[in-house]
Amino acid sequence: MHDAGAGDLAGRGVSSQVEYADGEDASAFAQMLGGLIEANVVSRSEKLRDFNRLNARVGVFVTDIGEGVTLEFDRGHLVVRNGLEGRRDVTIRADSDTVMQLSNVRIGFAGMPNYLDANGRRVMGRMLKGQLKIEGLVGNLTTLNQVTRLFSVAE
Amino acid sequence: MTVAAFSPEWAQAFKDEINRSAAYRDAAKGWKWSVGLVVEPEPDRNFPEGAGVIMDLQEGEARDIRVGSPAEAQACDFVITGTYTRWKEVATKQLDATRGMLQGKLKLKGDLPTVVRFTKASQEMTECTTRVPVTWPDEG
Repeated sequence: MHDAGAGDLAGRGVSSQVEYADGEDASAFAQMLGGLIEANVVSRSEKLRDFNRLNARVGVFVTDIGEGVTLEFDRGHLVVRNGLEGRRDVTIRADSDTVMQLSNVRIGFAGMPNYLDANGRRVMGRMLKGQLKIEGLVGNLTTLNQVTRLFSVAE
Repeated sequence: MTVAAFSPEWAQAFKDEINRSAAYRDAAKGWKWSVGLVVEPEPDRNFPEGAGVIMDLQEGEARDIRVGSPAEAQACDFVITGTYTRWKEVATKQLDATRGMLQGKLKLKGDLPTVVRFTKASQEMTECTTRVPVTWPDEG
């Protein structure tokens, strides 16, 4: 039986690991992304390890809805903010469908995202077409891989 | 032949479309939970009561789809809630369901990683909805 409450978007406030800077005004996208990361961290020990190590400011902007969030990872704690805040290490810009595909990237050998299988190739294809843009990639590849692992729901 | 929105005939036609879809069958392999769609009332759109759509979906097959009360739909493993207008927008391809959830136009209750894992199945199911010719209560 799954935990239906883990993804309940209604009334989500502050948990021990994920906090919403905008409280009850957190956008649906902020709650969805925060909820996804929290559910992953709670259920998967390898993701918890990444979560406890990650110290970075990551922006995600969904181009077709014109909304973004800033994820402030601070070694075992995450603050999710509505909108793109300054001083981001990495920013991902993509449409909603690509964001979902990014969350379905499989994690392969040595914890590296697998961009060679069908879904991975689709993600890479969108990057080549400019439908997925990643700013701050240079110097932050480890951060990007950690974030990709935290987002990934693929089994 | 058109069917009235959210009627038993609509539910049967929706179920038939899902079970005809090879793309859905493929994308929903591994899905084993019930899904409830809550359609919130909008009296000014001639939809005063609200409705629930209760879907028994297993491994790429729609075993049963029926129209019931919102409370019955809310008891499902996964629940998506929206106003009558939002669901009409989804069924007429004016609103992408994924985008609607990210924007908060449709509210989701259920295990998020599972939902995200089956995004493709969700999209195919939406496609099936759009293939059912519907008579809407706020039209004509």
